[in-house]
Amino acid sequence: MVSNRMASLRSLANALLLAAGLCAVPAARGQVFDGRQLVEAKLVADTATVTPGQPFTAGLLLKMAPGWHTYWQFPGDAGIPTEIKWNLPPGWKVGPMQWPIPLKLTEPGDIQIYGYHDEVLLMMQLTPPLKITTPAVKLAAAADWLVCEKICIPGNANVQLELPVGGESTPANQELFSKFRDRLPRSLPPSASAAVHWSRQPNELRLTIADRSLAQASGVDFFPLPVAPTITGHPRREQTADGSVVFVIPLEEAAKNVQSLDGLIVSGDHAFSLGKKWATAGSAAENPVPGAASDGLLKLLLFGFIGGFILNLMPCVLPVISLKIFGFIQHAGDSRKRIFGNGLAFTAGIFAWFLGLALLMIALKSAGREITWAFQFTNPYFVVAMSAVVLVFALNLFGVFEITLPAGATSGLLGWSAREGYAGSFFQGVFATVLATPCTAPYLGTALGFAFAQSAAIILLMFLAIAAGMSAPYLLLSAQPAWLRFVPRPGPWMVRVKQFMGFLLLATLLFLLWVLGVARGVDATIWVSAFLLALSVGCWMLGSFSTPAASRTQRSLVLVLILLLVLGSGFYFIGQKFAATKTAASSLTNGDWIPFTPERLQSELAAGRSVFLDFTAAWCITCKFNEAAVLESAAVRSAFERYGIVKMKADWSNADPVITKTLKQFGRVGVPLYVLYPATAPNQPVVLPELLTQALVLDHLQSAATKVAATK
Amino acid sequence: MKTKLLLLALTTIGSGALCAAEAPKVGAPAPAFSLPASNGKTISLGDFRGKYVVLEWFNPGCPFVQKHYKSDNMQQLQNQFTGKDVVWLTIDSSAPGKQGSLTPAEANKQIAEWKMKSTALLLDPEGKVGHEYAATNTPHMFVINPEGNLIYEGAIDSKASTDPADIQGSTNYVKAALEEAMAGKPVANAKTKAYGCSIKYDH
Repeated sequence: MVSNRMASLRSLANALLLAAGLCAVPAARGQVFDGRQLVEAKLVADTATVTPGQPFTAGLLLKMAPGWHTYWQFPGDAGIPTEIKWNLPPGWKVGPMQWPIPLKLTEPGDIQIYGYHDEVLLMMQLTPPLKITTPAVKLAAAADWLVCEKICIPGNANVQLELPVGGESTPANQELFSKFRDRLPRSLPPSASAAVHWSRQPNELRLTIADRSLAQASGVDFFPLPVAPTITGHPRREQTADGSVVFVIPLEEAAKNVQSLDGLIVSGDHAFSLGKKWATAGSAAENPVPGAASDGLLKLLLFGFIGGFILNLMPCVLPVISLKIFGFIQHAGDSRKRIFGNGLAFTAGIFAWFLGLALLMIALKSAGREITWAFQFTNPYFVVAMSAVVLVFALNLFGVFEITLPAGATSGLLGWSAREGYAGSFFQGVFATVLATPCTAPYLGTALGFAFAQSAAIILLMFLAIAAGMSAPYLLLSAQPAWLRFVPRPGPWMVRVKQFMGFLLLATLLFLLWVLGVARGVDATIWVSAFLLALSVGCWMLGSFSTPAASRTQRSLVLVLILLLVLGSGFYFIGQKFAATKTAASSLTNGDWIPFTPERLQSELAAGRSVFLDFTAAWCITCKFNEAAVLESAAVRSAFERYGIVKMKADWSNADPVITKTLKQFGRVGVPLYVLYPATAPNQPVVLPELLTQALVLDHLQSAATKVAATK
Repeated sequence: MKTKLLLLALTTIGSGALCAAEAPKVGAPAPAFSLPASNGKTISLGDFRGKYVVLEWFNPGCPFVQKHYKSDNMQQLQNQFTGKDVVWLTIDSSAPGKQGSLTPAEANKQIAEWKMKSTALLLDPEGKVGHEYAATNTPHMFVINPEGNLIYEGAIDSKASTDPADIQGSTNYVKAALEEAMAGKPVANAKTKAYGCSIKYDH
């Protein structure tokens, strides 16, 4: 046995490196076969000095002779992956091996393998301990690989790297590392995981990726990462006509609970890694076992709840929230039961809108449409309708007209008369929520991005959580009316407040008209305004000539006239004139902001510049706020200039599908979204929060710039 | 009518192509074959009904094969089971001109040099049987039961490496499958991922 092993070693000797461990200095070790160097192995780091406690990346660089290949972590039908065993000083930590996207090679006999030609850098993060007493550290590792061309030869090398210990880390081998970092698969954005669906037949797994552009791309492939004992056959692409990509992965061996696989979705030079979660138990929606997935769901539902609560404070809801507070003041004198009833009705209104929205989205989603938050604002007719509703409310508050209810009910203001009650409260709930939609509050982005990717039940749950969050303060106040004791008693002052609220609504109207102007041009704004004018006249006629004192005939006549006026002007101004206006070219992307296109982004990044990408929309108040208060502030503007960071704006006012797709890559279904692509790591973009502060943006810009400076 | 005929033709061609590519499944009958052995005899799988048969894909130039032969691991296994009336067929599917391709004389020399204990070393230069079994690796192991059904397919053992030191401490799947089957037990690991060099097929 021993002699046999000796014999084996001897005969392999010419296949193995000669000098392993014999001499100390040279960093590169070779694998020589028949006098030819097949593989040169070297240990490299992205830093020239080691800073205690500061992680850096080290890599095993394998240079293969032309035509020879080493293997990926899943070698395919034959071969074995390259392995590295570290020999580090105590206290050091090593991260997982980062495998660049491999090539798929096919050998005679339909043998598919995954590996690397020419050279590959297998990177790992190393974390030194907080305290290093030596002036230099020696990092050593034993690497094992199999290199094949027509024949296969195992190789190994003891590689080492000596680095001085210093306070400040100095970048090294930047070109090499950035070349191979570019070749790492990116993790699949959470929203895109919506587009990924697995199904299991007894002997195969089907992977469906609902992505039109991927479906049109050539050379899309799936590289599986099966975990033993699962054994997969060759994935094959199935032709589909519906704009999705389908891979069938034969299962030669798999337990019943294997519902999906980890792996790479490869398209050209890029790849998305599906990630570990697919390797175990399918998506959260399909996972019946409460565990990590449902924890995540609970957390995101909580985000939804908090987001809903914060919606109350968003600028677009401000007029309505004022009205509601006002309503409470009026309710203060009522019986507890009635107050609580009104609170419930208001809550029901909020829930009704969100429920309707959820059902609509589920219907759209099941019809295969792309769904996004606030998508209704991308429809100009919705904005026109909103404008009309806001104006009518304002006129009502000004006292131009009042709603008269039959059956002797006392007249009152539309929506919040203390006596009129529940229907009004309900309607207010709906109204407040409609206005809230364009503001994607903090927390909501993440929560909705997640929910839209999930099953109908989860979308519904998420919307209910948001509704609950938004209505919680009202419900609590109405359940505990004692807290209202501190507000003033009702009196004539309320009329003035009411009128003032009318102006707040008019301000909202200005905003809506501006949205229309941005989307469809100035003509659109004026035609809508003309219609709104006719509508105002209608309201005035209603208030002045259709009073309860007037005769029945007069009242009917006035109503007919109003209907004629409103319908007629609606038909002409909206149906004819407004409809004829064209979608305007974006006017948001002016100034020193470059309009976003994926190509432009790529070319800027390729040119080695950092890019700040602002996803915005005319109707997005949070976006406007961030832009005015932060992005266009003198300090931030000069920082952009100083660091030479490219400013790019993606205007989503008209729901541009290219931008929708890009948003989804970041797991978002709405704006705002702010992304910073550092020049040093363009495929590791940094997502900023939805509410910006100057300090935060300056911080991010500076760190991106520092990294760039460090590279140069 | 024409369309129907065309469809039928396409389906037939399609299924034919599929069948050719389909690997035999564990539990299903092992495909029959006849191949010349290095000793000049023609060996047919059908001759061994009623016996356990082990198929071992072989390429003497492959470091994974060398791992098991130069350590005497493969020979010991062959010796142990041929002694229990198991038929052990070593098959070389390397195409002429590629690594591992052997003439009968070279094959006999290899048997002598390595003291191979298999029942026969079969030569499959066209890769016909290799393709029939969808064998991809050397070594790639198949175990067939006396009823002619495949009961194991995959690696020789549980440690995918070329290091002979890994043999000790690994689970030998072929040994386990044969012992379990002979004891009337189901085979626990009936299918594993074969490891080794790719078989040097011509096509």
